[in-house]
Amino acid sequence: MGAFGPMKTTFPILLLVMVRAVAPAQSVFEQRHAEVVRVASDERDRSFSTITAKLKTGNDVPYALAMLDSLTKDEAIGGMFYSYSLIGCYLHTQDLLPDSLKRKVREAYRTRTMYRGDTENHWVMYYTGLYLAAQTWPDEEGSRWFNGRSSSENFQEARDWLDHWITISSTRGQGEFDSPTYITTFMTPMVVLYDFALDPVMKKKAQMMLDLLFVDFAAEHLQGNYGGGHSRDYPEDIINPLAAPSTFWAWLYFGEPGFPPWVETRYRPRHRSGWEPVFGAVSSYRLPDIIYRIATDRTTPYVHTETKRVRNVIRFGKELNPPAFKYTYVTKNYILGSLHGGILQPIQQHTWDVTYVSDKPNNTIFTLHPFYSGKELAMFFPEEEKFLSDEVDRYHKVYTNPNKWNSSSPYEQTFQHKNALIVLYHIEQGVKQPHINGFFPKNLDEFVRNASGWIFCRAGGTYVAIYPLKPYQWMEEEVNWRLRSHELNNGFVVEVGSLDEDGSFEAFQKRLRLKKPEYSGFDSNRTVEYITRNGDRMKFTFGGERVLNGRHHSFKEYGFFNGPFVQSKLGSGVIRMKYKNQTRTLNFNNVSLVDTP
Amino acid sequence: MKSFACSILLLMLFLGVAVLEARQSTVYASVVSTKLFVVGAPNPQTGLFYQKTSDDTLWQHTGRNNIRAFGVDVHTPSKGNVLCIASGNGVHQSVDGGKTWKITTGWRITEVLSVAIDPRAAKTLYCSTPYGVYKTTDGGTTWNERTNGMGTIFVQTVTIDRNNPERLYCATEEGVYRSEDGAGTWKKTGLHVGGVRSLAQHPVNSDVLFVGTDDFGIYATTNGGKYWEKMAAGLDHVAFYTMVFDPTNPDVMYAGGYSTGVYKSVDGGKSWQRMNDGLTNLNVHAIAVDPTNGNRVYAGTMFGGIFKSENGGTTWRYAGLSGAQVWTMTVQPF
Repeated sequence: MGAFGPMKTTFPILLLVMVRAVAPAQSVFEQRHAEVVRVASDERDRSFSTITAKLKTGNDVPYALAMLDSLTKDEAIGGMFYSYSLIGCYLHTQDLLPDSLKRKVREAYRTRTMYRGDTENHWVMYYTGLYLAAQTWPDEEGSRWFNGRSSSENFQEARDWLDHWITISSTRGQGEFDSPTYITTFMTPMVVLYDFALDPVMKKKAQMMLDLLFVDFAAEHLQGNYGGGHSRDYPEDIINPLAAPSTFWAWLYFGEPGFPPWVETRYRPRHRSGWEPVFGAVSSYRLPDIIYRIATDRTTPYVHTETKRVRNVIRFGKELNPPAFKYTYVTKNYILGSLHGGILQPIQQHTWDVTYVSDKPNNTIFTLHPFYSGKELAMFFPEEEKFLSDEVDRYHKVYTNPNKWNSSSPYEQTFQHKNALIVLYHIEQGVKQPHINGFFPKNLDEFVRNASGWIFCRAGGTYVAIYPLKPYQWMEEEVNWRLRSHELNNGFVVEVGSLDEDGSFEAFQKRLRLKKPEYSGFDSNRTVEYITRNGDRMKFTFGGERVLNGRHHSFKEYGFFNGPFVQSKLGSGVIRMKYKNQTRTLNFNNVSLVDTP
Repeated sequence: MKSFACSILLLMLFLGVAVLEARQSTVYASVVSTKLFVVGAPNPQTGLFYQKTSDDTLWQHTGRNNIRAFGVDVHTPSKGNVLCIASGNGVHQSVDGGKTWKITTGWRITEVLSVAIDPRAAKTLYCSTPYGVYKTTDGGTTWNERTNGMGTIFVQTVTIDRNNPERLYCATEEGVYRSEDGAGTWKKTGLHVGGVRSLAQHPVNSDVLFVGTDDFGIYATTNGGKYWEKMAAGLDHVAFYTMVFDPTNPDVMYAGGYSTGVYKSVDGGKSWQRMNDGLTNLNVHAIAVDPTNGNRVYAGTMFGGIFKSENGGTTWRYAGLSGAQVWTMTVQPF
């Protein structure tokens, strides 16, 4: 028997086993992929994604061509959303377009203002669009472009910025990180860039960024829900997590939740009018199996930490991009996750929540301080501080609303250890909206406000206990109960459990009824000490130290990623994914990816 | 003979009118947005607008639409052939009087709040951004960061000294900085308050400067920034976004800001009086005085468009661009 003798028989068997393990997921993915394109091709909304679907399937082609024609005629439309999706649609369908329409598409890049915008997602869309447009129509003079710059100037500028963004995102994280809403605005440009970048290095970088975006999501994913803290999200999605656009991507790539997002009426699907995942469905990018496994295997609970960055602080700050620290505990029943607190993103921050698996909507519980200020906005935007709140309110609608469900606040901080969390509030006198809001869905299976001070909630197999430090009011609203407290120095201790961890709901309550946080003198020392039901001693001072079992809790240990599935040292540019015996290493320093075995 | 004389008279009248027409000034206004603005959405027209002083409420648009145009500067010696817009996307430049435009800056220069063209060398431009100051000497082909001595700070405006193009002033979040070497190095002046929003230089004595601040009222210096004095008691905590001298009479000044309407001084900034008759939006971000007629004054408001006075601010009337957030205005004598 030669050296390779045993392999002759075992290798094919192993291969067969591996193919069998992978094939169902992949073939089902291909079915979902086809289904998205098919369903989108029946939609009548005027968008480049549905036009792409119609032209790709051959369904409703005259209508698609008419829509594309109207979108190239309507001069009021332009900007970064338009730019990247127009070129994406064009590159996917150019063989099917009449020459006259091709010329109109080209002309749009001369006549429109492709405004670059002022957020990270805007720039990703703008520069992806510019890169591909300049690549598609090279060697043209500045007079042929909306910005007066030649094809080569545009291409070089776009390439340089994309390189810059990929570098900072793979070493220090995104500024608009982990957003259930804005994930679409990063995923879609990257799949289009991956499909059409002619430069193999840029194509590889786009592939690696997609892997990074997906694994970042996968590690905090639970059956379609994007768990943990979010840099930006809309209130409708915060209180109803499966209504977020991220659910569409989860369904398409992870196969969860178990139903297509567009058929579920229980979730007000904001994404119904946004079929951008069509660009994913028609893309040649394929999700690595390891990321699929990371997204879906919830056999063992785990802690996953990350470091991200705050978007550019242009005034009133000491650092351009301070770090944002993220802690997430993931089980098969729920995710408890938190950002460390303070202003990490203006307008739409979501600092902490517990999101649980449920067959009902509004499957989340959280608290916040509904802070707003012109100064907060002026930290990030160059317009006049005294007008910014009103201006932002005009298009984000709820920024100054006292009942809003998204907010960053300098008066909110968290400390989490596994399935226990302490969130503290120290609201200064004179601050607008000096109160705290808490969201509790009305469709909980069981709900108890116990004399011990604990609020107990059960949703399916998930148990949540919340101990408010100070008095509060209880208000009934359409889909939820609102906890409101006007105590300026306040906080909550949160413990989350499950049937697996605690047995019955009664047993969970019984364990906690005997436990009380220690917070005497809180108004002056702003310190809470609490021993979790698992025996861990947490001590947290607002604006001060976080201590776990007598040891200082250091954010340095969070790494860029640190968890059983994803590890990366902050600033290294090397991200290692691990699932059982599989690994995939993204090395952005030399633009390589290595799989083992 | 009589008919010949009449013809000559008519011709002279016509020529006279034509000359008067030719002498009309041009008013420029940069509009950041309107109340209906949403990033990335179909938006009402914004950007750079201009009109002749006789155009009443009619404004023409030039350059790109919806670029978040914060600032505008016009090269007076070329009679407006060279003009620049400071915008969210960078510095837009035209060298043919607005017929064609080019964004001269790349991705590193963004959220440009002001631009200044060296009147003696139109290819030398400065721009201010939340990340500092940038300079080009080749008409925008290459831009270089010029923050030595200043650091990466929020710079609202950059102003070229009217008598010495190597001397520059910057209004910043941390006070006023001065350069003596064309932005090669910067030194902080003696102003001890921050949040400086606007800077005006005296039309005759260039050592006299006034600044408007976000929360601390008006300060002035008579020695090029060495010492500053708080002006106008009673306006201590008022935010002033704009300050200008009447170029035809240096004792006359105008200032506007948050809920202020227009303040006027006729004694070189020592005392101020509110002049708001007819001004229905009191949030004033831009004021400009016609250099050929000091009584003609324009006020650009926050989301209220433009107002005009023909009597030195005594009365105002609406002058167009309804709902516009007007950031900067200038009137040029051509």
